[in-house]
Amino acid sequence: MSVDEMTTTSESLPAILDNLREIVGADSVLSSHEQLLVYECDGFVIEKNTPDCVVFPETTEQVVAIVKLCNQHQIPFVPRGAGTSLAGGCLPVGGGVMIALTRMRGIHEVNLRDRYAVVGPGTVNVHLTQHLKGTGFHYAPDPSSQGACTIGGNVATNSGGPHTLKYGVTVNHILGAEVVLPDGEVVQLGGYLAESPGYDLTGLFVGSEGTFGVCTKVIVRLTRDPAAYRTMLGVFETVSDATQSISGIIGAGIIPAALELMDQGIIEAVEAAFGFGFPLDAGAVLLIEVDGLEVAVDNEAKQIVELCEQHGAREVRKADSPQQRDLLWKCRKKAFGAIGRLSPSYCTQDGVVPRTKLPEILKFITESGARHDIRIVNVFHAGDGNIHPILLFDERDSEQVERVLRASDEILNRCIELGGSVTGEHGIGVEKISFMNKLFTAEDLETMESVRIAFNPLGLCSPQKMLPTAGACGMEHIERSHPARKAAL
Amino acid sequence: MSLPETTDEILPTSTDEVCAALAENASGEQRAVFPVGGRTALHYGYAPQTPGVALSTHNLHRVIDYPARDMTITVEAGICIDNLADTLKAEGQRLPIDVAQSSRATLGGVLATDTNGARRFGFGTMRDYVIGITAVDAAGKPFHAGGRVVKNVAGYDLCKLMIGSLGTLAVVTEVTLKLKPLPESSTLLWCRFDGWQDLDAALEGLLRSDTRPVAVEALNSEAAHDVVSESRLELPTNGPIACFGFEGTQRETDWQMERLTNELKQANVAELAQVSHEQSESLWFALADFAVTSEEPLTFQAALRPSRTIEFVKLATDAGVSIVAHAGDGVVIGHLPDDVTTLEAAQSVLDPLQQMAARGDGDLIIFDCAEDWKQSIPVFGERMTHWGLMDKIKQQLDPNNLLNPGRFGLPAEAI
Repeated sequence: MSVDEMTTTSESLPAILDNLREIVGADSVLSSHEQLLVYECDGFVIEKNTPDCVVFPETTEQVVAIVKLCNQHQIPFVPRGAGTSLAGGCLPVGGGVMIALTRMRGIHEVNLRDRYAVVGPGTVNVHLTQHLKGTGFHYAPDPSSQGACTIGGNVATNSGGPHTLKYGVTVNHILGAEVVLPDGEVVQLGGYLAESPGYDLTGLFVGSEGTFGVCTKVIVRLTRDPAAYRTMLGVFETVSDATQSISGIIGAGIIPAALELMDQGIIEAVEAAFGFGFPLDAGAVLLIEVDGLEVAVDNEAKQIVELCEQHGAREVRKADSPQQRDLLWKCRKKAFGAIGRLSPSYCTQDGVVPRTKLPEILKFITESGARHDIRIVNVFHAGDGNIHPILLFDERDSEQVERVLRASDEILNRCIELGGSVTGEHGIGVEKISFMNKLFTAEDLETMESVRIAFNPLGLCSPQKMLPTAGACGMEHIERSHPARKAAL
Repeated sequence: MSLPETTDEILPTSTDEVCAALAENASGEQRAVFPVGGRTALHYGYAPQTPGVALSTHNLHRVIDYPARDMTITVEAGICIDNLADTLKAEGQRLPIDVAQSSRATLGGVLATDTNGARRFGFGTMRDYVIGITAVDAAGKPFHAGGRVVKNVAGYDLCKLMIGSLGTLAVVTEVTLKLKPLPESSTLLWCRFDGWQDLDAALEGLLRSDTRPVAVEALNSEAAHDVVSESRLELPTNGPIACFGFEGTQRETDWQMERLTNELKQANVAELAQVSHEQSESLWFALADFAVTSEEPLTFQAALRPSRTIEFVKLATDAGVSIVAHAGDGVVIGHLPDDVTTLEAAQSVLDPLQQMAARGDGDLIIFDCAEDWKQSIPVFGERMTHWGLMDKIKQQLDPNNLLNPGRFGLPAEAI
């Protein structure tokens, strides 16, 4: 089906608006232009398109009715959580019905003995964290946007975050999901248990960016809280010393819970915003956290201090109190909020390289910034090799915007050349669709397309996402023109 | 062995040769193709009802790229698990998945069957380690998914789709794995209880334990006897046994062994034996090899809520079933006793177990039994809502049903 065929919503819209109001109630359908403006984009603001309407279901049955109605009228639909996606995952390409899941936010069950919780897709990540506080268990994935992002959105994008190095990403913590398929059928993928027979459709569904259906319930795995933490701040003269230390730590067989790098540019902004006491003349700092048994963490911390010193650390500070640890993490997780002090606009990239290639990619980023006369600062998940270069600019200057785009593409292409990927945790969405045929062969994409067809044969659900072939009419024609503010994980 | 006896074998030496062989078959004779590795799990699922050709990964055993500092490795799928472990050990690393018959089992086979064992409690399963694959579909078309970096969300995660798919979707030829460091120390605590109730209470107490075991196993006397004699260690076997594994630095394992010993003494443990690092390998090995089937009439794996596991183990024990349970995860392996010689006898043992598993949102799948029994005993338990989707995926990737036809008993696999 082509885009032209799909965007027939204007004709059938008045009729379906009435139907939608019958399904969810008049208060739960937005359709005026002003109301829809908020939903024209997510955290990726370069492409914008308003949906024809937004509906707020509260039950699986309502989602089924909405999806069936869309099928009946051949109208595209797209699920949305909090809209913090950074790659345009919830951009309503072709308009249609946006299914906002934010009212399906119940924590239905917590079972500690069997180590799972059942939550609605609209549950905010941090609300689950708070709910579990004091139980001795937690839900491990903690993307930096966890104060806003939803578990359903985390499932769609297979979100990461700073603690993935030791604990893995979202898919490693999802046991099952209730899904309304693109034709309205409800299926249970996985379940409460560690095993279920047949293909691992839960694993396949996580990270499918809304193209396989609408998730209406999630069963997450719970993890025992670590008994103890040690959080450290390594201060380095150069970025290279810091990245060498990372290789040294991991090479010694130590897997810290988190290993995050901030370079001088971002330290300056974060220090101005939060006043932690970062050294402004340092080339880079490493935020390192080890966790585990009380009997083990001091030893690991000591080894890490020695390794950092061997690789030229100026000093390694310890966050001795829980308050200091919290402040240090606040500085890291809210670093993006501090960037407003550096420039009016910014664009964050999300490349990945093998960990040992970090010095090389960071050197390339510096050179690329100089070549295109764009200031670039770095704050990222160094232990995973997941870089987040932040390109600073003024979006009112279209010539600067062009240079930002060129530098971004250059950096991501270099990640591919170094054996990496163009996205570690933000997703392909619409933003990176043009990179897919650089990462994958035509055969790879054909195979992925055939799997999509098994779930979503008509292409009505989240059209034109992830695959350059999705929905027949290529998204490769979309010109990226306004890189602008984006928060990052 | 459940391949037709006349099956001949092709032995490609590269992904390209796999492509060529499958393409030739697809455009020519369209014979059924049975991908095989170490042939340790051919009994799993329904046997093919049609003759065909075995595609062996025997000659696909190279290490393609091992950037040890990045803690990833890319290998051909036919590499046997022991050889892979030796390669990794040289760099102080490992793939922390317990595999039975590891001298024969191949990585591709472990991936296709989603094999795992005791340490899944601490380290997870194959889905947590496979970060990239190269595979060839039934038409001979090669495809990749994932990549060689530990964090990557580009494209659909077809690695997950291949894991546990029993070779019904594509032939996996290359695999990239994320690795873990080898621990300095690995120890186990072997505990005998006077009754299942005491053992279950001890497992519940683990929720509040200061320790973090990587394995939580429960065995009945029959299984304990087999495992202990296989391990050649001196350990008690009479009575319900719980076995806890610890890995890490020596300091960590020493501290946890002592700590849990003290905790269990509060919890009515009858007898405790510490298995040292030096002895641990033979016990891990024996625990993994318990899943191997030999002369037993039927071997199953049940999945249950951890909280319902011991109730199930008790029922199975009363019926004479030999049981090792990965109790922390609610996964139970059972061998039916030798005196079960007829289908009716097998069903009378299995029926109440299947019902109990189902009541706990679980299921019971058959690993191995006489092929004619599989017509009456559902190998993959009661079908769930996602079987329709599985069927559609099978149709998409293998429309002519050439790869391991009938293995899952899906409609798309009908011959």
